[in-house]
Amino acid sequence: MKRLIAIVEDEAAIRDNYAAAFAREGYAVRTYANRTQAMSAFAARLPDLAVIDISLEDEPEGGFELCRQLRALSPVLPIIFLTARDSELDAVSGLRLGADDFLTKDLSLAHLSARVNALFRRVDALRKPEQAGDVLRRGPLTLDTERMQAQWDGKVVLLSLTEFWIVHALARHPGHVRNRQQLMDAANVVLDDNTITSHVKRIRRKFQGADPRFDAVQTVYGMGYRWVE
Amino acid sequence: MSLRLKLLLLGLLTLVLPWAGCRYAREMESALREGEQTSLQSVAETLATSLEGRLDLLYRAPQGGDSQDAAALLESGPYDLKPVALTAAPLVDGYSEDWPRDAAAWAWYEKDAAHRFGVLTGVYERVLYLLLEVRDEHPVFDAAGASPLDARATGDRVWLGFQDPQGGERQVFLAATGPGAITARYIESGEYGQQLAQLEPRIRGVWQLSPGGYRLELRVPLSMLGAGFGVLIDDRDVRGGAPLSYGSLHPDDLRTLGHLIVAAPELTGYLAQFSQPGLKLAVATPGGQVLARVDELKRVAELAPAPPLIARLYRRFVDQPGAQPPIEARVSVYDREHRTVIGTLEVTQTPDRWLRLRDRALTRMLNFTLATSIVVVLAMFAFAVWLALRLSRLRQASESALTRAGLIASFPDTEARDELGDVARSFSRLLGRLNEYTGYLRTLAGKLAHEIRTPLTIVRSSLENLEAEQVPSSARAYLERARQGSERLNAILLAMGAATRVEEAIGGAERSRFDLVPLIESAVAAYRGAFTERRFAAELPPGPVMMDGAPDLIVQMLDKLIDNAVDFSPVGSSITVRLRLAAPEAVLEVDNLGPPLPSEAGRLFESLWQSRGDGNGRPHFGLGLYIVRLIAEFHGGSASASNLPDGSGARFSIRLALPA
Repeated sequence: MKRLIAIVEDEAAIRDNYAAAFAREGYAVRTYANRTQAMSAFAARLPDLAVIDISLEDEPEGGFELCRQLRALSPVLPIIFLTARDSELDAVSGLRLGADDFLTKDLSLAHLSARVNALFRRVDALRKPEQAGDVLRRGPLTLDTERMQAQWDGKVVLLSLTEFWIVHALARHPGHVRNRQQLMDAANVVLDDNTITSHVKRIRRKFQGADPRFDAVQTVYGMGYRWVE
Repeated sequence: MSLRLKLLLLGLLTLVLPWAGCRYAREMESALREGEQTSLQSVAETLATSLEGRLDLLYRAPQGGDSQDAAALLESGPYDLKPVALTAAPLVDGYSEDWPRDAAAWAWYEKDAAHRFGVLTGVYERVLYLLLEVRDEHPVFDAAGASPLDARATGDRVWLGFQDPQGGERQVFLAATGPGAITARYIESGEYGQQLAQLEPRIRGVWQLSPGGYRLELRVPLSMLGAGFGVLIDDRDVRGGAPLSYGSLHPDDLRTLGHLIVAAPELTGYLAQFSQPGLKLAVATPGGQVLARVDELKRVAELAPAPPLIARLYRRFVDQPGAQPPIEARVSVYDREHRTVIGTLEVTQTPDRWLRLRDRALTRMLNFTLATSIVVVLAMFAFAVWLALRLSRLRQASESALTRAGLIASFPDTEARDELGDVARSFSRLLGRLNEYTGYLRTLAGKLAHEIRTPLTIVRSSLENLEAEQVPSSARAYLERARQGSERLNAILLAMGAATRVEEAIGGAERSRFDLVPLIESAVAAYRGAFTERRFAAELPPGPVMMDGAPDLIVQMLDKLIDNAVDFSPVGSSITVRLRLAAPEAVLEVDNLGPPLPSEAGRLFESLWQSRGDGNGRPHFGLGLYIVRLIAEFHGGSASASNLPDGSGARFSIRLALPA
């Protein structure tokens, strides 16, 4: 059975383009133009993944509300924010509501597909028993690349998909400097300097939530970042 | 001209008040003078009336004559002498320097062109003074040691003939053996009929030689004299020769031919009764010969206290240059029948009298008006200073209101209800509107980027979908071009939003303490790898340079500076990154070779100032240096650009505040 992707987007052209792209990838797609439509459909049947725009018709923050309601219906359903809004505040708010990723609309369809695929892989992995082979360990850090889950000293650190990929790219080769381009490639995303910086900042903060002495992500000024054990 | 000066000059206009006061004082002065003239005239007339017909008071009674017969007295003959009333006794020394210089007062007698003499007579305190100027080509003195009566030894001789108070004729002569003091003698018949020359000690004088003759100065007490008086010269060309006699005595018997017309002894006393300080009374003969005078002109100090210094100062401004002439009144004194003029009365008054009156009024008025002027000028000046202060505050506020970036700083509110307050308020309103507008402009790029993003997403996703479709290979090229175009558009949007994101990043930046030196070292090392076509030199201080701030932002700032330096410098050239300490700041400088800066270098750091593209199609929105400035300002510093001293390139300097 085809996985069902719900696209909630008020701009018909974009909605249809995304729908076509996902359909081409072999997914079933339902599209909704506003929150009311989407919620009534979700009440009947939950999709396997939701792509949500923040501003929905006459609700500038309708996507956030929708995300909250959706997360209440299912704690594990992958949710991706895809929006024209690229402010730091929006990203933080979206991720805090339990979204798995926060993407801007300049992301290419290929990158978007990669993320959708990755999220489905994670859903599958979570259903299966843990497999040791897909785990990357670096000192206190444990990265489960299947489930896309990070742990620090055994404590789960909740990372968005982009953040997870950035941590993964850094921790795979400790001591090696990863520049911004490398991190963007790893995260399947095009971001500017400040957005990368804020991602790194958020990663540090999340790990510091688990361990206040966390200092493994180092800035190499002018070049990038590296993982220090 | 400053406002202060203008108002001050305006205030000086009030000096018109004292000026008008001075004009008024002059008018008043002439009115006063007229009044004084009138009153002086009436005083003179009253006095003249009191003297009317009083010939006895005016003149010494002529010998044996009727003192009431004015006509007889005043029809003076050629031999009458009219002594002037002297103001001081002349020094009897044979010189004329201390006599009044009045040619009309001389009486001249002559025999012929070579023989003539003049007599000047004067009276002072009941003494008659005579000055004789004799023209004589051959002055001859008596032989020394001889008797004055020895005819062979006789030289030039001067005879005085006069009537004594009893009317008897008397004669004295003056003879000298040389220049010097002489005493008159008279001839007396001795016991045996012989003639004796007796001394008359009351008549003394000095005999001096003068150019063209000789001169005698004599004093004779008036008490000796009656009415008749005359002088006769015995002129001899050789000692003991026959004399040439001429003068106002009968040459045969030396009888007096003329009279001495002198004021009565009581006249001066009479006039003195009417004398006042500052007043001069003078009685003269109808011919103008002064008989008596009482002069109190100099005693003005008694009129009023001396004017204070300030009044004298004012007087200098008010008075026309030149001394104030005294006022005079001249009236004739008539005889009893009011037919004949028997004398003239002249009353003179010093101007000080009314001048002092005027001065008192003038001083008060000038004091008042000058004080008014000073108060007005000071008030105007204070007002001007206050106005200027407010204006300069307004100016400063308006100058500092608009920062170089077009941001509006606060503009002070004013409660003032006047026009200046209105100006300040309307300025404030204007700035407010301007602020809204610049705010709109500043956010325009970001808003525009946001608005364009949705249609761009439609284009890009459509293109990506299209690529997945069966597209004829002939159309592939167009598809690729469309994709490239949309990529470029996307890059432009990213750049346009960059400033907004930096502002956001600055807003959320966390400050920490870090060392600038390793940070810059590491960054420069990275640039060496990134820009292989440029050489990089780092000049860093030996010790650590600790500062508070966001290291990420500092690096981002350095990135922008290096981007800028690379864009404008030729391939292979060197870029110098320099950090130096200039307490309390650290100065970060990036030098690059290349073209000089545009003339508006100050605007380089403004948003969207420089819009250009480089050869790679990367969009430039002049945001790089704007971001540099934002970051520098976040660190309590500033950014500036200048050309290198030798003009070979540009230098961008960032001042960063160091922690205290």
